[in-house]
Amino acid sequence: MHIFSEYFKKDHVLSQIDARIKLLIALALLAMVLSYHGFVFPVGTAILCLFLCMAIKVPLRVSILRFSEPLFIAAVVILLKLFFSGQDALFSLNIFGAEVVGHRDGLREGLLIGTRIIGAVSIIAVLGFSTPFIEFMASLSWFRVPKGFIEILMFAYRYIFVLFEDAQVIYQAQKNRLGYSTVRRGLNSFGTLAGSLTIKAFDHSQSTTVAMVQRGYDGNMPMLMHKSFNASEIYGSALFLLVMGVLWKM
Amino acid sequence: MKIQNLKIKVLVFISVLFGCFLSAGNAYAMHISEGILPWNWAALWFVVAAPFMAYGLYRLKKLSDADLSFKPLVGLMAAVVFIISCMPIPVPTAGTCSHPCGTGISGILLGPAISTVVAAVALLIQALFLSHGGLSTLGANIMSMGIMGSFTGYLTFRGLRVFKANLGIAGFMAGLFADWATYLATSAELASGIRGDSPFLPLFWKILIAFIPTQLPLGILEGAMTAGMVVLLYKKRPDLLVKMRVIKAEEVMA
Repeated sequence: MHIFSEYFKKDHVLSQIDARIKLLIALALLAMVLSYHGFVFPVGTAILCLFLCMAIKVPLRVSILRFSEPLFIAAVVILLKLFFSGQDALFSLNIFGAEVVGHRDGLREGLLIGTRIIGAVSIIAVLGFSTPFIEFMASLSWFRVPKGFIEILMFAYRYIFVLFEDAQVIYQAQKNRLGYSTVRRGLNSFGTLAGSLTIKAFDHSQSTTVAMVQRGYDGNMPMLMHKSFNASEIYGSALFLLVMGVLWKM
Repeated sequence: MKIQNLKIKVLVFISVLFGCFLSAGNAYAMHISEGILPWNWAALWFVVAAPFMAYGLYRLKKLSDADLSFKPLVGLMAAVVFIISCMPIPVPTAGTCSHPCGTGISGILLGPAISTVVAAVALLIQALFLSHGGLSTLGANIMSMGIMGSFTGYLTFRGLRVFKANLGIAGFMAGLFADWATYLATSAELASGIRGDSPFLPLFWKILIAFIPTQLPLGILEGAMTAGMVVLLYKKRPDLLVKMRVIKAEEVMA
């Protein structure tokens, strides 16, 4: 679980920026990428984000892992659109007697979606890499996201690591006892693992509640207090969005 | 001869790419990737998911007011759903790995409304910190995995229990249909989002067929997993199932 942002280098250029501003900028850029009708802006945004990932020293392995799934999906969407969409024939292939036609307009549509995926994923990746979870929760609270939802998010995030370790221990024990040697045994073992995690989740929730009540928990969790906005952050981000807006409009 | 070789190479390349997609897609297959839906479709799914989320949060508040341990329990169930949906399991027919959704079991244990919130939480963490799914597609993913998965799982389980089906069978069918409903909804969302000017149905069928090689057996695996979970809980901690109103206290005695 060393892929969450908490484990990366913390003192970088983006860590100085308020999480609320980062979230706002990310959402604005996302809206621009999604509503853009061309390749240039999403590709440019992806390149910018790639540079930012390098600047904040995200390990290369993590970056590759993070982008592998969206890249595959983008590639397949392009192929789907190339072969199954459009009218204007670009080339044709004879596959076992069946003619498969690639379409120029299909390829264009596929590339539009593909670049949109890459651009959008890059933005959220930078946001995720540069914003600690607690700060992100605090900014959601500032944006008036329902408190119940944020509290569940915080409980879930806190216990993912605990339960993940429990799951690893159970999985190793099952594996050492040939619990995954056949499909049938594998299914049984996986069911047992998932059931055991649920039981552990219940037990943890009871002990956590007792501990929290002892510390004054009354059903509401306090959120991180916000510092006031820094003028340079506001002007800097407004200028950045203005530049991106002009590029988007071009 | 050269052209034929080139065609074969292109064909092999396309097959490998498609195979890669199936493997990668399976690994996180219930999530629609960030950026894949145009903004109007992305917004529409947020609007559709909003009332379910609002009702889920209302139920959460009501139940947590009565029991202080309920919020931590829901949070931990969200962590369980997160972990389950990150765990690869083998899919024999495809020779690859895939993963279950976990919303079938959370729907059974917590009820479909709160399970929708649980799915939303797991999806948001995955979108932000693992790039599985996305922020713009969060509404669509909540719709397919959260709402369709939870409600189908819950209704199947409850429906079969009314007809006195045993826990294992009801759990299996709930997991199976929850999984398949998720992929059905995902296919519809994808087809409507990326079709452009093409008609909806042909693309929908193509996407659905592309999912079948892995998702058909995966549904069965998820069914088996859900059945295993419910039966284990019944054997080891029936008090939990009674507390969650999955079974009645009299059934434990029997």
